[in-house]
Formats: sequence, structure tokens, C-alpha cells
Amino acid sequence: MESNIEASVRSAARSVETGYSADVAQEIVDTCVDAGISLVASLPDDWIAHTIASFEQDERVNHVPVNREESALGLCSGAFLAGTGSAALMGASGLMTLVYAITKINYTYEIPIFIMITHRGTFDDGAKFHVSNGLYLEDVIKSISMPYTIINSRDELPMIGEAYHHSRKISRPTVAVLPKKLLQGKV
Amino acid sequence: MKYAEAVAYIASRWTDELVVTSAGTTSELWHAETGETEKVFYLEASMSLSSVFACGIAQGVAEKPVWVFSGDGAFCMNPGMLQVERQMNLPNLKHFMLSNRVYGSTSNVPLPGRVDNDYPAIARGFGIERVYSFGSMNELQATFDEAVLEPGHTFIHLEVEPMDYRGASPPMDGPEVKFRFGRYVERVTGNQVFSAPLDHG
Repeated sequence: MESNIEASVRSAARSVETGYSADVAQEIVDTCVDAGISLVASLPDDWIAHTIASFEQDERVNHVPVNREESALGLCSGAFLAGTGSAALMGASGLMTLVYAITKINYTYEIPIFIMITHRGTFDDGAKFHVSNGLYLEDVIKSISMPYTIINSRDELPMIGEAYHHSRKISRPTVAVLPKKLLQGKV
Repeated sequence: MKYAEAVAYIASRWTDELVVTSAGTTSELWHAETGETEKVFYLEASMSLSSVFACGIAQGVAEKPVWVFSGDGAFCMNPGMLQVERQMNLPNLKHFMLSNRVYGSTSNVPLPGRVDNDYPAIARGFGIERVYSFGSMNELQATFDEAVLEPGHTFIHLEVEPMDYRGASPPMDGPEVKFRFGRYVERVTGNQVFSAPLDHG
């Protein structure tokens, strides 16, 4: 069987074929590393397939594919207590499954985590099942008072680092939202 | 095997390992047995995530053994925890899974598949190489050193009887658990957990 690296190379190539930017994916990785992130737990979304592959292939990062989004939250929460900077990378629908775990673990113990998600539900999202989910995405984030920022262009990628550090400052989760056009390198 | 006796024995063998306990009984029993407030993270709000939480700790403190407790209630909610453990394969992680076939923290409500669930087989099916299963104190005591003290990621299944226990939670709120544990990690590993260091002098 091919290795994780080999599988990620294949996934990245497919992602480029479907219109996603290898350069933006690498910029996201570099920004995270510069911020002090060395562990990334991920669940897939088609929009971030190349970003996941870029984390997998980068030797500066311990990339852990996990079985469900809650496991990413658990892993990153534990990593904080070992002094490891981390990020949980997932689709928007993944975040929608996390409310209970966030309020139970991160709010009870005041453990910061940093989450990156796709900005599903926007007008350029062609998947009906994601659009309907995305209708409530920002309202759900706001309902549990999680600070978040939408990265609207490559110029704003440094906001990823700011969002990560903000989570440490306030001992709560923060979220960086990645739009489709950003991940395609169009903005 | 009696639940409380198993936990008491493991506590009696504990030296300086970092410990993560899970919701309900293991947190209550471990605190009652040890009274420890620094090198234990009482993850009472564990949401079936105690072992992946412990993975996050263990990957950052490779020189420290980490013991984590879970129950089969949590396992039924998230058996994929073992996929993450296998993926990371951390040699300093020992996972004790106490199986009483009920949701012990919620009045012993029976688990789905309680009769047939074969947890060691599931663990082996996920590729975990070091799997131990103990159904009696004699077995646990006889093989503890091999299972727990030798290096290598290990899943230890303990078949125990349901118990009617409702002990007190460890007497700390969440942030105190975090700070006590995190400061201990800083002190013994030199890792910086919090942005503001304590003067340990």
C-alpha cells in the first residue's frame, strides 16, 4: 500500500486539477509554522484537500489525520497542555458537530484551540448539502461566542497567525474561515 | 474483577507518570485513591476524548509516560479513538479501558452491544500491536509490569463489574485542573505551556 506521503501527493494533484491552488495551500502551512504551530489534526473537505496534503508533506509539521472532528479537538486540547502549538483543520460541517465538545472541554477547562474551517454556504458553493449547512454556520459560531475571522484574500493570510495567538490570549477556541476563492488562489 | 480494586491496584503501582482520567468513576476513584492534584488531568468532561487528549499530551512529552483511562461507554461513542492512537503510535502512551458493559456514570444504563463487544479484538483490528486483556486481579497483577512498564503504545482492557458508586468529583474547577497540570508539565519537562512562565526558583 502506498505511504501517507504518496497518497497525499496523489490527493494534491487531484486538488490542483479541480481548481485549488498549491501556492495558497503552502502559504497557509508557512503561516501556521511561523505562528508556532507544529501539530495539525485534520478532517477532509474537498476545498482543503491540498492544504491537508501540504501539511502532510511538510517536515516541520506533525500532521495527524483523525477519525472525526471531535478527535481533532481532543488532540489539540491535549497538545496545548504539552506546550505544543496546534491547529484543527476541517470543513465547515465539521465545526457544526463540535459545539458540545467545545463547550464541555474547552470552555470548562479554558483550554485554547485554534480551528481552521472552510467557508461553506457561500454563493460560490456548488454543493446543496453544504449550502444548507452553511446557512447556519456563522450563527452557530456566534451562538457560543467564538471569535472568528474570515480570510478574504491572500493578503489577509497573516490573520491566521493572529487568530491562533488570540486563542492563547483568551484561553478559548478561535476560528479562521477559509473561503473557496481564497483556496483557489482567485483573491 | 472489582472496578475499585482494579483502579486501586493501578494507583498503587503509579510513580511519576502523567495521568488523564475520564468522566465519572475513574476521576472520582483516582482522586479518592491518590489525592493528587498536579500530575493528573481529571478530564471529567471527557466526551469520549480522553485517549486522544492524552495523545496530544504524550506527543509533546516523549520522555514522560502517560497513562490514560477510559470506559467502554466512551469507547462505544468513539471507537475510532484507537485509529488515532494507532496512527500516532506513541511509545509512552498506555490506555486503560475499563469495561463494565454499562454507562456507569449515568446509573449503569446498559451499553449497545454489551454482550458481544470484543474490545481487544477491535483494538487488534485497528492494528494495535500491544493489546492486553485482564478479567481478574490475579491476571492484572501478574502481567502488569509487562503490559504497563515496558515501552510501546499499549491498550489494556480491564473487564470489571458494574458498581454502584457515586463519589465526589475532584475538588477543583476546570481552570485549576488546567493550571495545576500545565504548571507541573512545565516544571518537569521544561516545555512552556502558558504564555506567562512561573518563577520556579
